[in-house]
Amino acid sequence: MKRSHIIAIVIIAVSIAALVGSLYDSSTYADLAQAMEDPGTEYHVVGVLDRSQEIIYEPSLNASLTTFTMKDLSGKTCTVHLAKAKPQDFERSERLVLIGSATENGEFHARDMLMKCPSKYNEENRIEG
Amino acid sequence: MSAYIGEHTWAGQLGHVLTASSFVMALLATVSFLLATQRNDDHWKRLGRLAFHGHTLAVLGIIVTLFLMLFNHWFEYDYVWKHSNLAMSMEYIASCFWEGQEGSFLLWTFWHVVLGQVLLWRWRSGRSAVWESPVMTIIALVQVFLATMILGVYIGDIRIGNSPFLLIRELEENIGLPWTTMPNYLQAIPQFADGRGLNPLLQNYWMVIHPPTLFLGFAATLIPFAYALAGLWKRDHQGWMTPALPWAFFGIMVLGTGILMGGAWAYEALSFGGFWAWDPVENASLVPWLTLVGAGHLMLVNKRKSTSLFTVYLLTLITFILVLYSTFLTRSGVLGDTSVHSFTGDGMLPGLLFFLLFFIGLSVLLLLPRTDQRRFYALISAALLVIGVVLEIPVPAILLFGAVTLGNLLIAYRSAFNSSEPEESLWSREFWLFIGSLVLLLSAVQITFSTSIPVFNLLLEPLGNGLRSLASTTGIEAFTQLADARFAPPSEAIEHYNRWQLPFAFITSMLVAFTQYLRWKDSDRRKFWRDIRVALLLAALITAVCVWAFDYTLPEADRVALLFATAFAFTANLGYATVVLKGRLKNAGPSVAHVGFALVLLGALISTSRTEEVSRNTKNMDLRFLNEAFDNNEDILLYRGDTVRMGDHFVRYREKERKEGNLYFAMDYYGVEPRDYRAGDTVRVGDMLFVSQSDHRAGDHFLADQPAHWRPVDQHTRRALWYAPEWSNARPGAAQFTLQPFIQINPRFGNVPEPDTRHWWNKDLYTHVRYADLEADADSADDGWMPDRTYDKTVGDTIVTPTAIAIIDSVYVMRDSATKSMLGERYTVYAAQMRVRDLYRSDRWFEARPVVIYADGAPVMGRAAEIPPLRVKYGLSTVDAAAFVEPSAGQRNVVKYGLTVAEAEFVVLQALMFPGINILWIGCVLLALGTGMAVWQRFRERPSKQA
Repeated sequence: MKRSHIIAIVIIAVSIAALVGSLYDSSTYADLAQAMEDPGTEYHVVGVLDRSQEIIYEPSLNASLTTFTMKDLSGKTCTVHLAKAKPQDFERSERLVLIGSATENGEFHARDMLMKCPSKYNEENRIEG
Repeated sequence: MSAYIGEHTWAGQLGHVLTASSFVMALLATVSFLLATQRNDDHWKRLGRLAFHGHTLAVLGIIVTLFLMLFNHWFEYDYVWKHSNLAMSMEYIASCFWEGQEGSFLLWTFWHVVLGQVLLWRWRSGRSAVWESPVMTIIALVQVFLATMILGVYIGDIRIGNSPFLLIRELEENIGLPWTTMPNYLQAIPQFADGRGLNPLLQNYWMVIHPPTLFLGFAATLIPFAYALAGLWKRDHQGWMTPALPWAFFGIMVLGTGILMGGAWAYEALSFGGFWAWDPVENASLVPWLTLVGAGHLMLVNKRKSTSLFTVYLLTLITFILVLYSTFLTRSGVLGDTSVHSFTGDGMLPGLLFFLLFFIGLSVLLLLPRTDQRRFYALISAALLVIGVVLEIPVPAILLFGAVTLGNLLIAYRSAFNSSEPEESLWSREFWLFIGSLVLLLSAVQITFSTSIPVFNLLLEPLGNGLRSLASTTGIEAFTQLADARFAPPSEAIEHYNRWQLPFAFITSMLVAFTQYLRWKDSDRRKFWRDIRVALLLAALITAVCVWAFDYTLPEADRVALLFATAFAFTANLGYATVVLKGRLKNAGPSVAHVGFALVLLGALISTSRTEEVSRNTKNMDLRFLNEAFDNNEDILLYRGDTVRMGDHFVRYREKERKEGNLYFAMDYYGVEPRDYRAGDTVRVGDMLFVSQSDHRAGDHFLADQPAHWRPVDQHTRRALWYAPEWSNARPGAAQFTLQPFIQINPRFGNVPEPDTRHWWNKDLYTHVRYADLEADADSADDGWMPDRTYDKTVGDTIVTPTAIAIIDSVYVMRDSATKSMLGERYTVYAAQMRVRDLYRSDRWFEARPVVIYADGAPVMGRAAEIPPLRVKYGLSTVDAAAFVEPSAGQRNVVKYGLTVAEAEFVVLQALMFPGINILWIGCVLLALGTGMAVWQRFRERPSKQA
């Protein structure tokens, strides 16, 4: 066996491992209903902040816990405990991606959250006449 | 709709004309240079040059016009309105220019034009002039594509590119709206008076220099790419490398600097707490750099002896293709929710995709050795393009194209580059350079895979049914997951990438260390070991010192291995420069660059693996009882005026100050001194009061000190206990420094926290405010209290706040003679009698009596009752005077009272300690400097090597 063949095999093996590895480490997008069915498993859940409910952040009690209600894209709502300080301008957020898992009692524990604000990059510039 | 008042339409028209001419000129240049190459004809070449000069002028004209529009605040233009405003300082006008898609495409185009002119100028002096026509064909062709990105014309219903010269009234979504026919709309509609302004995150000097550097790096990858394609085209597989080589290293230098500047910007202006987060946008710029480093090093080998030609071609071509791919990822909108700082789509996806696929196709086409093979591949690709567009099944067409392309790549490898030459020796420099390039390629492949997860979902979608049936027949769940195609990026992204990249970094560092000590072809093993053993020994020593100093443990063996490898790369290259090159500066470039590379990795390793969350809050509720994934109690709460121990310092939140739209929080840091107690001092420990028996210095633990120095006090008042200070063994020493993290207040883009960092030679303290009273509401002036919260309560109700529980005992009218004589009959003074208890100490009680004064049935003023130990204040805001009944025995008062509660003002702070981060920055400088020296050397030595 030539050395180049060994190298080729190693390369192919590592590439496949990297591909499988990236899929293995990847999380899954789900809606709240799916996350609820499978408590304890980590999901990415996309949704919006339910502004009709209160955002509870009591930093003097715990500086890294924010509790709020999220509505997912199918319209289901759920109480979310986020293990982070309340992000600046959370009220203005347009879209949330929660990273975390559901609990047995139907709440969602988010370890992290991505937030898109409406105007950060390309806001629709609608000008009313 | 002839005359609009106050518009500067000539600028937009000029812009459109210039854009169109830049496109036409680029096309003309492409065709001319193509014919010049095919026919070896000087006339066509001259025409091509002329067209390229014309193209250059047009591009410069576009840029000047756009700057003029920004500079003069012509807000009738969409691009100006979106990206600038009147208040912004002019030094950031450049940031406005490239904030948007169109401007950043222009920046990229601009660098291509500059580099193209430099090439033309060098060829004029006769150096490698045979390459002029083919190389310029490719460059001009890329310019054609880039010009279409800002063309903004319609072909049928499809818009090609987005023009930065559109008036707002010409935007698609505004056409037909009534205001667009008003001649004086600019004056009549207030929104046109000022633009939307620049994202505050980009108002940073790094953002003025980072994008141009990065784009110059991207642009530099085009030159080796064009040379490689020219080599394939002219079937001269070695000649292109000598002129392309310095450009490859120029690209390595500039792109590397640009990437690291991005890291510096993130570290300085963003608040994710670090310099590298493996964000898709960061990855997209790192990956081409990795392959370019591989390509550059392999060119060094192959310009001597063609041993790994196919790999050189592959790496050189793939570098530029990865630049296009990264452009596609970050600008087409496919990343969607996965990246915080990517552009949104704006309908650029089809154009960018075609740009990418076209150059993949062209590369593979030229790699095929025989004309019939090339024709066949071109035909299939064109057919797939037509099928994909006409039948509107783009994804299957792309998948098929991918398969065909991969097949043809294999054919190209088998039929043209599968050399039967004897293999290189294990003890040769070229063998290990080859291995190193492949490791870099694999590293790039891994990053690309993980970054491309959103793309996989799109590609897997049409395969869903097939995969689902595969899953049901085989019963393997993995296929169902593939069929669902709902993969999200790794949720622990940083851990994921670190874990995968660590072995690659280890191998690369080892290769960087020893490969230079090997000779070409074969080496004397004894001499090799003799030269390298000191470096090896020193590296082991450095590793041992670091393991001891930073307390690395066995489970971190992988990190220690990388530590050793980077230390080895550092010592070996230092040794190579001093011992082998004997300190001659002329050839020291590579060694300096390698030392820099090693230091970058070493600094990154130490600072990330030993980041200390000094703000970790142990006082508060442990979140882990909620969920075991919640262990990141990384923030500390500071009341204004409070002094709190944080890591090696005491920190005190002194004040906040508003300056030019920023809200600064002054945090004083004090040293930590041991605490001395005198005889007779009292302290509280838990529920007990102790009195000191002797003058002594506090030890580590109270229990150790207690028998000798402290006596419990059995008889004491409650007050004595609660006002006694808690025992501690440290006290704040001298004030050392002040940090001012701030929050940019920006109502339009949202408020942005920006960190402030204290630098020492060996570590950085990085702090930023996570939460603060922003004085957004009218009531929350800077009075040392958070905004009031109002409750409607009746007597007997309780109010629970984070520190206290309050009970309203009664509300009554103050009728004492002193009050009466002072205020007169018109006023009524209501007071609420409240009992307040520490939420966590059932026996710690306080009293509060807030007061409100009414005149003619309306509140005039009030006085809140503050309870400083609990950091809370209570106010009585309203009393329903009409329904008010005097409290009397046996009658419960049900009237509602408005009560306000506020906590003392505080901020939530995150503080991180990054040790050894200066190693990283020094490494960055050396990497850029060393590569620069090598590039300079290569450019200078070219004439002597020229045939």
